[in-house]
Amino acid sequence: MLLVTVFLVLLALAAAAGAFAAARRWKRPEAAQARVVLSGGGTGGHVNPALAIAEGIKAREPETRFLYIGVKNKAETVIVNKAGYELRYVCSEGYPGIRPSLETVRFLLKLALGIAQSIVILTEFTPRWIVATGGYVSAPVVMAAVLLKKLKIARVKIFLHEQNSIPGQLNALMGKWADKVLLTFPQTLSFFPKAAVVGYPIRHSIVPMSPEEARQNLSFQVPEGREIVFAFGGSQGARTINRAIVDALPFLFPHRKKLFIIHGSGLACSAGYNAADDTEKRIAKVLTPEQRSVLGDFYYRQDYFHKIAEIYSISSLIVCRSGAGSLNEISRIGKPVLLVPKANLPGDHQVMNARAMRNAGAAEILFEDTAMEKGGLLEYLNGQVLAEKILAMIEDRPRLQEMAEKSRDFLRRKAIERIISEIYEDKRFTDGNGHVAPFRDLVGNSRLLQMLSEAYAHSGPSFDPASVVEDPDDLAYYRHRAASLLSHKNWQDRNLGVKLIGLTKHLEKIPTLLQMLADRTPVDTVRRIFGGDFEQVGFIRRNIVNALTVMDWFDPEVEKHLFEAMEDPYFEVRVQACRTLAHFGTLLAGKNECVDRLQDRLDDGCFEVVIEAAKALGEIGTDWRAARALLSMNESHYWQVRNAALLGIKRMIERGVLDPSNKLIADISSFILTSTDFRPHFQIKETYAAIRKCSEGLKPGSYCRQGAADSNQVAGKIK
Amino acid sequence: MIFELCKFLAPYSASFSFFRLVNYITFRAIMAALTAVILIFIFSRHFILFVHRHCFLDQVRETGVHSACDKRGTPTMGGVLIIGAVLVSMALWGDWRNPFLLCSVAGMVWFGLLGLWDDVSKVRLKSGDKGLSERTKLFLQGLFSLIFAWVCVGPYAPLGSALATKVCVPFYKFPLGDIGPVLYGLFIFFFVVFVSNAVNITDGLDGLAITPSIFVVAVLGVFAYVEGNHIYSGYLHYAFLRGAGELMIFGAAFVGAGLGFLWYNAYPAQIFMGDTGSLAIGGTMAVMSVLLKQEFLFPLLGGLFIAEALSSQIQDKIGVKWIGRRIFYRAPLHHNLQHKGIAETKVVIRLWIVAGILALISLATLKLR
Repeated sequence: MLLVTVFLVLLALAAAAGAFAAARRWKRPEAAQARVVLSGGGTGGHVNPALAIAEGIKAREPETRFLYIGVKNKAETVIVNKAGYELRYVCSEGYPGIRPSLETVRFLLKLALGIAQSIVILTEFTPRWIVATGGYVSAPVVMAAVLLKKLKIARVKIFLHEQNSIPGQLNALMGKWADKVLLTFPQTLSFFPKAAVVGYPIRHSIVPMSPEEARQNLSFQVPEGREIVFAFGGSQGARTINRAIVDALPFLFPHRKKLFIIHGSGLACSAGYNAADDTEKRIAKVLTPEQRSVLGDFYYRQDYFHKIAEIYSISSLIVCRSGAGSLNEISRIGKPVLLVPKANLPGDHQVMNARAMRNAGAAEILFEDTAMEKGGLLEYLNGQVLAEKILAMIEDRPRLQEMAEKSRDFLRRKAIERIISEIYEDKRFTDGNGHVAPFRDLVGNSRLLQMLSEAYAHSGPSFDPASVVEDPDDLAYYRHRAASLLSHKNWQDRNLGVKLIGLTKHLEKIPTLLQMLADRTPVDTVRRIFGGDFEQVGFIRRNIVNALTVMDWFDPEVEKHLFEAMEDPYFEVRVQACRTLAHFGTLLAGKNECVDRLQDRLDDGCFEVVIEAAKALGEIGTDWRAARALLSMNESHYWQVRNAALLGIKRMIERGVLDPSNKLIADISSFILTSTDFRPHFQIKETYAAIRKCSEGLKPGSYCRQGAADSNQVAGKIK
Repeated sequence: MIFELCKFLAPYSASFSFFRLVNYITFRAIMAALTAVILIFIFSRHFILFVHRHCFLDQVRETGVHSACDKRGTPTMGGVLIIGAVLVSMALWGDWRNPFLLCSVAGMVWFGLLGLWDDVSKVRLKSGDKGLSERTKLFLQGLFSLIFAWVCVGPYAPLGSALATKVCVPFYKFPLGDIGPVLYGLFIFFFVVFVSNAVNITDGLDGLAITPSIFVVAVLGVFAYVEGNHIYSGYLHYAFLRGAGELMIFGAAFVGAGLGFLWYNAYPAQIFMGDTGSLAIGGTMAVMSVLLKQEFLFPLLGGLFIAEALSSQIQDKIGVKWIGRRIFYRAPLHHNLQHKGIAETKVVIRLWIVAGILALISLATLKLR
């Protein structure tokens, strides 16, 4: 016991001494040589800005010592070593999300270890500044620095550069502690209190040059007089883009005399996806041998281009992902782009980036679609769509020119100078916010659903989703996002997807919805015991039928499925199917099959179905047969059913298919009219409401502001 | 107080001898019920006014224009009246040294305060569905149930440890067996939490919760009288519980307060009991039936509450959240009946009748064993 105590006391003393010594160390180099820790990584998009900032500091203080802290075997290993900076590694891992799981535990352990490592490295190096460029790689370094600062050991300033328009969760957290957050997009200002908009620091090697000059630097031949399209998916490559561009080749083939495609397929070679291999295989699959033999004439593929500026310079159009890095590099050169943003990233930041560039007039956007392939969910982009888009853009020469100019304006120039001025606090480049576009957030799915359904409830059948989501690109993205929900495992998600597809009027997905409606895959036994039936659960089927009403779309295929839905085992589906038939009543009026089926439903065991079927008969029936069926319900147990039958007959009279003859009146009088339900009305509330109504628009309490006791005055003001 | 005073005075003089009446449980029960009912009649007008004024200060009416047929704006928290009347009445007529009484009062007050907290925060947040989070509510209910379960199976059990952990079922004379303190404690825990929430769910239409709870408490009061009476318990083959008779007085006070409340709560209601009332009533019924060893009678006696709670839970937890379909048209039970086209008043009266029948059947178990 004593030993342990002594040990603990000694440990505490040692820690205190260490802290004191470290604090002394930090004081010493204050005046002398500048030391800077750089951190951030995972992908080139995080490493390159860090290096660009380092270049900027070096230009100002050539004596500065740099230390790069990264994670082993990530992009920084290659890039930083090549750039010649000192590199040390710590442990860290991507943030797995808030849900408690094994991953979270591992993440926390690795983070704790990384923080400990960082503390050691930082006390050894005693930097003046820490420049973090985000990503999980810089998290332990920043946290260690914050810890040391809180303990009054370190005197270090933390700068965080955020490349994207929506910060990731770790960056949002770190931004609270950083001394200054440097932003690429002005839209991001709302996320951080201490921030400055500086732009994206671009590598020095990315400079605009003339196409002739660029051509000479290239390692491969590009024929003269062609429109060059450069497609790539970042340093690692993007499967969607790689596959889509290969799929587009057959459609671009007829235009091979005027096109040349340069394809950067990326370095990815993990177990899940080997970019080069997969691309080669796909080429062999989609092209005929004859086409392949002349492929080299208009297509060139390479894993990675070290001289990417040259490729940018000779291109007429660039097809790529909308990572902040790519966009800013392209903007530096000034080229039009066709963007394929990666969906479902934190805060949809690629979509936001893409939208920012499109709003600036420099880009067009294609959204990827989602499909089931080999049991897994896979994003894909239709090759034909891509090919058509490329051709359409290439052919519109003046517009392309205009886009190129807009693209050049998109970049926030002199980002590095701005950053340096922020770091050295001499404010030489701080200016206004540059191009400030009104910023609207993309909303989450549930919020979107709420907005759309409110609008739908308000405007009824004439509802148009464009009245809620004004930007057509946003709407396109929302539709895409809704469609991607349909293949989720969780039925709640699929249900949400179905509702959203209906409310956004995503008509292309109707066949998928109908397929889901007819899907009869049973759920697991446990759920069946409790009353479940099919994998596409009752709510989903009901909402699909409802979505057809919302989308207001009717064709023979829909009709067939609606008839099937009327036999569905779940009562709400049958109810909804009857309602939807009534909705399309004008199209179905007089159809015998429909009337037959509705008549069958009048014998349904569930009274809700009978009610809706009776109402639908009123919309669809055209002869005495329907009327007789309705009249036969005069002694139904439920008053709502009798009421619905009368409503149906009333509707038929209104539509002019039934004459209000004496016989009809006699028949109707056989209905049991007593009902067991009533609706109370409270007179005092009515009076109150009446007063409220006539004083609408009046400020509350305004009539007695001057203490006016005169009743005439009061009356006058109320008016 | 009156009880103590009379007991104190009775031996001193022959002219005080009629004070001996307080030794009769039946007399005190009647007096307690009358006191409670009169208290409610006296105070409810002021209380309704008080609540109304308070709501007026705290709550902004969202749209301004009230539809003429909805019931928003009705004062709530009527449970305070019920609890107050019972407490005052028991203070006058009860024997506060009786552990049965203490347990029941503790249950009523704890759940009442919990409901009051919920009601007040609902008014504060100006919303009917916010208020206390479900987790906090369950935690506090669970906390009481745990303490109560410990009291029941522990060394201070009012029942006496011989009987405490035995399982007694209706329609059968002898205890089925002893399941041990842990299992039995666990059972009590779930039972109390379930019953208190069941009343909360039932309290959805004017007068729907209060009348069936009057029936339940009245029957439990009869059981208390029988089990607390040496002769009757011997005759009907119940275990004699010394002091359980006090619960009859408590039950009578409760029935009185309930009747008084129904006066104002009958359709269309001038006041709602709120969570204050429903949780308190649920807590009281649960505690009483555990103390009287009638917890297995409760599913029959309070069958209405059980059906309401189960229908709501099945619809929500199994149907809507898990297998993705509705199992009933609507839930809980009374909304289902309304949905089928039965008017609110009719639903309420029919459910009263059902509750009355269940109470009669339960009463029959006194003899039918």
